Amino acid sequence: MSDDEKKSWLQAVRETIYGMAAHDMSRAALRTRASMEHLFILITMGDLLGIPILPPYYSLRLLPYVVPQISTWKRRMLREKDVADAMF
Amino acid sequence: MALKDVFLQHPERRYIMFGGGGGVGKTTFSAATAYWLARQGKKVLVFSVDPQASLTDIFKRDLFGKGPVKIMDNLWAQEIDADRHIRTYQQEIRQKILDMYGLPKVPEEIENYIQAASSEPAMEESAIFDAVVDVVMQGDYDYYIYDLVPLGHALYYLSMANVYDEWINKITKLREEMREYEEMVSRLRREKETEQDQILNELLYIKNRINTSAGILTDKTKTAFFFVLIPEAGVINDTQKAARLFAQFDVPIAGYVVNRVIPRDLLNQNIPEYLRRRVAMQDQHMAELHAAIGDQVLAMVPEMDRDVTGLPMIEKLADIMFA
Repeated sequence: MSDDEKKSWLQAVRETIYGMAAHDMSRAALRTRASMEHLFILITMGDLLGIPILPPYYSLRLLPYVVPQISTWKRRMLREKDVADAMF
Repeated sequence: MALKDVFLQHPERRYIMFGGGGGVGKTTFSAATAYWLARQGKKVLVFSVDPQASLTDIFKRDLFGKGPVKIMDNLWAQEIDADRHIRTYQQEIRQKILDMYGLPKVPEEIENYIQAASSEPAMEESAIFDAVVDVVMQGDYDYYIYDLVPLGHALYYLSMANVYDEWINKITKLREEMREYEEMVSRLRREKETEQDQILNELLYIKNRINTSAGILTDKTKTAFFFVLIPEAGVINDTQKAARLFAQFDVPIAGYVVNRVIPRDLLNQNIPEYLRRRVAMQDQHMAELHAAIGDQVLAMVPEMDRDVTGLPMIEKLADIMFA
């Protein structure tokens, strides 16, 4: 077996073990993280839905960081399911 | 105690504020106090955060939105242009979005949000108080004299600061929890360090700004807050009500200055009945005021016979206030 083959074999084993042991966990963690992200946008950028919470002067400071999330966030807010459902 | 003694006994109180209802003479007293302190050899900045303020009229110099303008030795005056401050700030936000994502143009939805946020009533107050933090942090003056916005606005801002402080603590906590999840995923995937959370940094910055600006208003050692009032029933009632609320928010009230007192030596002259009645009315209100807060009335300033504009009139007024 060449070094390259050994490496790719090892890589495959590593990925299999990761898939068996941790992939689901990390996916669940990412989901929770995404829900929290939406909750976070709701409480900082609530004005977008007509709920002013943070002083607008300061919420503008956060705006640049959440630009990519805003479209998915609005879609999520309009779904029937509650954000809290996803969280807890 | 006289107004002069407050300054002589407490040289550490460097943030001086005059508050009161509309049109009672806050700006005039701010200017006169700044003049008096400058003449004592202190380096003074008097600045206005009130869009209707008239330091420009009082000093007969165009000050609006020009930064600190030197009036005389040791004395600078500044009028903050809140609208321009907001416009510049919006532009910075837009530029940041364009730079971060390499966009040619701010997306419509985002642009709408920027516009809507800026037309909210709280925007101007927040912008003004935020600008004050810069003014106070950047300068190297011995004294900062605030010509404060009308009482309602200041109270609004103080209560806002309390609520927001708590709120930002909560958001920050949520953000930190989010970070824990992110780190967990990184560990599971055996990735290197997670990226720095810029949003968390911004939140901490915002918290710091709000606390600093509210902190200046409530700093017991460095701040002296003076109420300006005139001897009229409505104004006295409003002032006492405001004073109670200010005390609740821990604003260090240093005393009261009464403006527009009709000179009593007029009574020796042949004056019309109308004026006699006004004097009697003022006497009655002054007696009530003395009964309520007698020892805190630091100066009584007469109704002047002409507008207080230009340095000679300011000097005259300062000599009366700080006699």
